[in-house]
Amino acid sequence: MKVKPNPYIQAVRPLLKELLAELLKEYPYASVLAADSREKSYRVNRQLSSINGGGRFSARGFVVKVFDGKHWSEHSFNEITKENLADLIQQIRVTASMTGSALPEGVTEHEYAAPEEEETVFTGSTEYLTDPEELGDDVILERMKEVRNRGLAVSGQILDCIVQINWNRTSKLFLSPKKDLEQNILWTTGMAGTVAAKGQQIQTSARSVSALGGMELLEQLGTDVEDAAKTTLELLDSEPMPAGEYDCVCSPEVTGMIVHEAFGHGVEMDMFVKKRALAEQYIGQYVASPLVTMHDGAAAYDQTGTYFFDDEGTMAHDTVVIDKGVLKTGISDYLSARLLGTEPTGNGRRESYRRKAYTRMTNTWFEGGTDSVEDMIASIDYGFLLEQPRSGMEDPKNWGIQCMVSIAREIKDGKLTGKIFSPIVLTGYVPDLLKSISMMSPDPELSGTGFCGKGYKEWVKVSDGGPYMKARIRLG
Amino acid sequence: MIEKILSAIDGLGIDAYSITEVRSQSAEAFFVRRHMDLKRRTTLTDYTVSVYVITEENGNRFVGDSSVPVYPGMEEAELREALRSARHAASFVRNPYYPLFDGGKEKLAASKSAFADRTPEENIKRMADVLFACDNDENAFVNSAEFFAVRKVYHVVNSAGTDVSWETFDLNGEYVIQCLTPADVETHHTFDFSEPDTETFRADIEHALRQTADRARAKQAAPGGRYTVILSGDQVGTLMDYYVSRADAGMIYQHYSDYEVGKDVQEASGPDADGDPLTIILKAAEPYDRQGIPLTDRTLLENGVVKTIHGGARMAYYLGIEPTGVYRWIQVPTGSVPFADMKKQPYLHIVLFSDFQMDVMTGHFGGEIRLAYLYDGGQVKLVTGGSMNGSILDAQKHMVFSTDRYRSAVYDGPFAAAIPDVSVAGISSDT
Repeated sequence: MKVKPNPYIQAVRPLLKELLAELLKEYPYASVLAADSREKSYRVNRQLSSINGGGRFSARGFVVKVFDGKHWSEHSFNEITKENLADLIQQIRVTASMTGSALPEGVTEHEYAAPEEEETVFTGSTEYLTDPEELGDDVILERMKEVRNRGLAVSGQILDCIVQINWNRTSKLFLSPKKDLEQNILWTTGMAGTVAAKGQQIQTSARSVSALGGMELLEQLGTDVEDAAKTTLELLDSEPMPAGEYDCVCSPEVTGMIVHEAFGHGVEMDMFVKKRALAEQYIGQYVASPLVTMHDGAAAYDQTGTYFFDDEGTMAHDTVVIDKGVLKTGISDYLSARLLGTEPTGNGRRESYRRKAYTRMTNTWFEGGTDSVEDMIASIDYGFLLEQPRSGMEDPKNWGIQCMVSIAREIKDGKLTGKIFSPIVLTGYVPDLLKSISMMSPDPELSGTGFCGKGYKEWVKVSDGGPYMKARIRLG
Repeated sequence: MIEKILSAIDGLGIDAYSITEVRSQSAEAFFVRRHMDLKRRTTLTDYTVSVYVITEENGNRFVGDSSVPVYPGMEEAELREALRSARHAASFVRNPYYPLFDGGKEKLAASKSAFADRTPEENIKRMADVLFACDNDENAFVNSAEFFAVRKVYHVVNSAGTDVSWETFDLNGEYVIQCLTPADVETHHTFDFSEPDTETFRADIEHALRQTADRARAKQAAPGGRYTVILSGDQVGTLMDYYVSRADAGMIYQHYSDYEVGKDVQEASGPDADGDPLTIILKAAEPYDRQGIPLTDRTLLENGVVKTIHGGARMAYYLGIEPTGVYRWIQVPTGSVPFADMKKQPYLHIVLFSDFQMDVMTGHFGGEIRLAYLYDGGQVKLVTGGSMNGSILDAQKHMVFSTDRYRSAVYDGPFAAAIPDVSVAGISSDT
């Protein structure tokens, strides 16, 4: 079934058209983005449960973008009525003329060329199998409690089992002189995690699921929770990682984190504008093993980073960033593309209507290869199987890597020994790591349970992943 | 709108409620080199309504709660449906009973911040002037910057009697310093001021310019091994997150932490301890927390011993303690060693990480090293790359803090902490 159009967006559309028409009497270009994002989060653990209607992305509001012939400005607000329209237009005027004497000495305002756009009318909705609202809060909570009980039953050592589900239904309307775009998206994520303690040290392990769709993913959590509990117990006996450079097999989640953190951020082209990304100098050159083909795009995969058009009204793309090891292009928002003289790739995204649009990733992944995981492990004399990524931080300027991983399973003489190390910091130089990739499994797997920040803020929903891959990585 | 919400709640079978209104205005400016790239303003009003359903079974009381965002201009029918749906969800949640907090009544606790004297746009100019006045070196310069000047007025109303309102001013953002030679590198810096403290901002920027020039000259990682690592600035505050989290009522109620008042959690007076006993004070940066609980300064740890378990109304009631509210600013008293003396023995002073992290569950802290100063008895060397991986459980009896101080929006305390015997992955540790 398709996600239904949003009644509020439908009701407010005529007023937004009127606002746009008024603004276009004064400015050469203006656009309006309306967003209504409804979210519900469910959580159960050993002692407590909760259902909340607000989440990180719950928001209803508008952002108007105005081009005055040379400069851009934006005004975000969340109330529009027939009565406050005149006041709103006055507020937008104030924002557009904000610069004046406000510029620091020696600082000028960037001048942009006039925007160009093609006539586009579009309406689209994603699909789902089970509507979370039709399934009902009571059924969802009960199924989550069953999963929790399964996790707790694995061992008396399991201190707690936490099960979380989130769904998000976002509708957006983009209006500009030549565009009238509307989309309705539903994604759902889930997590089952367990907690165990040994003295003051607490270990956790989780399995997560995500889908562009509805509550159909609930079933998968039930089977994953027992794995999570077993891993948590293993972690209680883990050892600190001996620092060094090793042959490693990365699970699809760890591959995804490397794709996203180590390389994805480095090809965000707003960083090219600021001369903050080394990748700009490597277009057309080998930056990775010939086994590597990397995609990013809201139209590149059906996952939580999927949409039909971005927050600047550019239609979604499937961008091949690296083709058989050669860096082909970056990904771009609209304004960066204007400054660089390139085409936008549908990657202009806002945390919400309250925030500025930046170049952001969507669904980012490596294509698969032809090797089996068993062959990868068998090919390693001494190394590690890396699982459960925790976090990462980009370094587009210098291509440094920081990725934190929870589990390194020891491989000796081509076999897993059962010994595990934790926690692990992956470091190194991005092209060294990507060029060292020597084996890849056939099927990429993407996960969209996490969020992506720009530096330390501006969180958006993304997915990333790839196949199992073998590479040489510095661990600490 | 609050009246409209209260009217809609009526007759829905809601036993208790809490409404939070946040009115905010911001100005924002985005700079790339010496060009303003984009200017923005926001005018927003947000409401969050939490509804509570109380039930009783076999003499035990239970409460279910659910919150829902409410938007200005919502039609009455839609508002009532949103609240009805929240009430329906709350009826399936069955947690042990707790009462809402009665924070009393206060019309508006106006902010005393000097930011209140000017418009958000003027406040941005005041701080951006400082940034660009420091930007006069062709080799190490401001690559880009973002400024957000935000005024917020909070209003919390609940069915227990709380009706309080307070105002905050905040100017936060980030800037990137680039240095072209001998290597083209950058460093990323954030700032967050509740007062227009231009002198501190100027000093921070000048420090950042020097650090970036040092990073440009750093060529290789430190040799792998174990070091006395010196952490400084906000990294020291991040280290303290472990104790703040472990003393959180929610962590204790869920048995993730065994902290209790009187427990010596640092064991800093034991025979094998040679570090500074740790005292941490929770500082009231605002008059109330987001639940409307009045905030006052409270001692969390004193000489390594827990003095306060902190938390909101619910977890405090479950543990039978006073609700303290939720804090975001901590203070740590001066340590025992001047920073200059810390550097008389071999050390690795890590000044820039890509992202320094403290895992409050495992106690592990670390990150990738972007810039460090290595002193091994000879000349101080600039190093970059590799990573540090330590455990607070191993380190806590041996940490020494500086007499020099540092202050930011989240941490006010010793500038530096020296931690012996920390593992560093570097250049000579390859297998």
